[in-house]
Amino acid sequence: MIDDVYQIVAKVFAIPESEVNDQSSPENIESWDSFNGLVLVDELENHFKIKFTISEITDVKNVADIKRHLKNHDVS
Amino acid sequence: MTEAKKIDDLKFDKKLKVAILSSFTLNGLDESLHVKCSKLGIKYHSHVSGYDQYNQELLNSKSDLYEFSPDITFLILDIRKFFGEYFFKLHTISDSEKESFLKEKVDVIENLIINFERNLNSKLVITNFNIPYYSPNGIIETKMELGFHEIIEKMNRAIIKISKTHSSVYVYDFNLFVSKYGEKNIFDYRQFHMGDIQIALNFIPYFANDLMSFIKPISGKNKKCIVLDLDNTLWGGIVGEEGFDGIELGHTPNGKAFVEFQKELLSLWNQGIILAINSKNNFDDAMKVIEEHPDMILRKKHFANIQINWNDKAENLKKIAEEINIGLDSIVFFDDDKVNCERIKFEFSEVLTIELTDEPSEFASILKDLNDFNVLQRTNEDRKRGEMYSEQRERKKFEKTISNLDDFLKGLEINVKIKKSSNFLIPRISQLTMKTNQFNLTTKRYQEEDIENMTNNPSISVGCAEVSDKFGNNGITGVYIVKKDEKFWMIDTFLLSCRIMGRGVENAILSQILLDAKKNNVEEIRAEFIPTQKNKPAENFLSEFGFEKQNNIWIYKLNNEIKLPKHLKVEIE
Repeated sequence: MIDDVYQIVAKVFAIPESEVNDQSSPENIESWDSFNGLVLVDELENHFKIKFTISEITDVKNVADIKRHLKNHDVS
Repeated sequence: MTEAKKIDDLKFDKKLKVAILSSFTLNGLDESLHVKCSKLGIKYHSHVSGYDQYNQELLNSKSDLYEFSPDITFLILDIRKFFGEYFFKLHTISDSEKESFLKEKVDVIENLIINFERNLNSKLVITNFNIPYYSPNGIIETKMELGFHEIIEKMNRAIIKISKTHSSVYVYDFNLFVSKYGEKNIFDYRQFHMGDIQIALNFIPYFANDLMSFIKPISGKNKKCIVLDLDNTLWGGIVGEEGFDGIELGHTPNGKAFVEFQKELLSLWNQGIILAINSKNNFDDAMKVIEEHPDMILRKKHFANIQINWNDKAENLKKIAEEINIGLDSIVFFDDDKVNCERIKFEFSEVLTIELTDEPSEFASILKDLNDFNVLQRTNEDRKRGEMYSEQRERKKFEKTISNLDDFLKGLEINVKIKKSSNFLIPRISQLTMKTNQFNLTTKRYQEEDIENMTNNPSISVGCAEVSDKFGNNGITGVYIVKKDEKFWMIDTFLLSCRIMGRGVENAILSQILLDAKKNNVEEIRAEFIPTQKNKPAENFLSEFGFEKQNNIWIYKLNNEIKLPKHLKVEIE
């Protein structure tokens, strides 16, 4: 279930899923700007039926962080 | 949003320039509109102003907005930024301060609109303001001399008032949009604090869909006719099997849903939408329901064309379009049967095909959620269209009783009244240039503002023709625009509504233009025929009238005799 993250990240930033890994971040994905970051939040929340806090969202620096916060919402 | 990047714009013929000005972050709206326009065959160009830059764009006559020269501009404002710090302290100031604050804010809006109109001759859509569900006044909100909600309501009423006096300004009811989906869904505090997003991201497509209500009629993509199946569409069950008394219509829960659907259809008919029937049925069984069932809302007189037979539905639909004389792209087709719907989609992709669900209680909503029937203005001709089409059926009957066309035309007692453009006629003249496709020499589209400018220009003659006959009045159904030079006049626009084609009305109007020119010592009339996919009916008009082609221009020398049609009467107002 939590591995769906890669697919969602790939879809939102319009890149091949194979290019997404835990170290993917705004540094190495060009289309990952602040707005698309919010689109990603929206997609993740709809997909996993959860709601992040603002602190969680602003804390995210890469995909590994997303997975860490998802685990806090009991997504595994 | 990724979809927008893949669109190949080059294949579209209609072009539309859209400007988006907003006071908050609206990323995604531009892309959504682009996708929706492309699906309709509209080549979309846009200018999106910088974040909260609308003042600069509207007030500076050299701004990028004015440079871009859009066909339509959306000005999308939010109440928080517009009221500034007063949003949180309106209830702490005196009533007279509230009034002067309100007046100041209304003036701001009016000034923006005046600047827009000074610089552009196109449409401006301005949003009204959401009235938040919360009031700091609590339960005594309505006891206040001027409550929090009331101030915003007053602001909204003032915007509506401005739009009534500025013909290029339309109001988009953003407050209704929020109430339709709910403020708690639309306004997400997290998105607001993180990026000043005031319409939650997942509602942007719905918002874009609503704005399409304006884009469709401006691009001539609005629908004019609804073609309906009968069984399980206008009533429940199959009349051929269950019989007159067996169908569901009226008193049962499902029966009430069909009545509701018919009432919504009738209300569209009253606004000028044409209705027709395309049904596989025994003609007599079905007509008995339409004419005699006590709970039918729609009767025979409401349908401009009735095809009840066992023929192919695609054939029937084509026949309906031909007999009513409208394009297939103006038609919405409703059917409950998947196969029928697929058949129409396959044959005519330009028809908007709606496959009804098996839940009749949804039908009324499905109909009301279509935003394809909007018009930029509603004229008397629109309101009377239903009657005009039933008169048309009578004319057809009369036509069948007479074998000779000349006798038929004489017997019609046609009267053509030529009128110069005036304030009262401008909306209808513009409307005809926007939507007439078949008998139209140049297919130039003019907004009301354009017609107004040309009407006020002494070297341009703008006129129209009202056509009546013994069966009734067809209303304003012909338009001409002539650009006048000393030695020659150029016909810029000449069109005739399809309703009155084939009755010599075009010759009557043109000969009056020629007579007028001759009186003014003009030597020749020039005209152009610009072919489109649809204007074949006008192709031979100029040559048959006696124009001669030189290079690409058709010319009529006025020393030739001018023929006047004999079977009709012409009046000049």
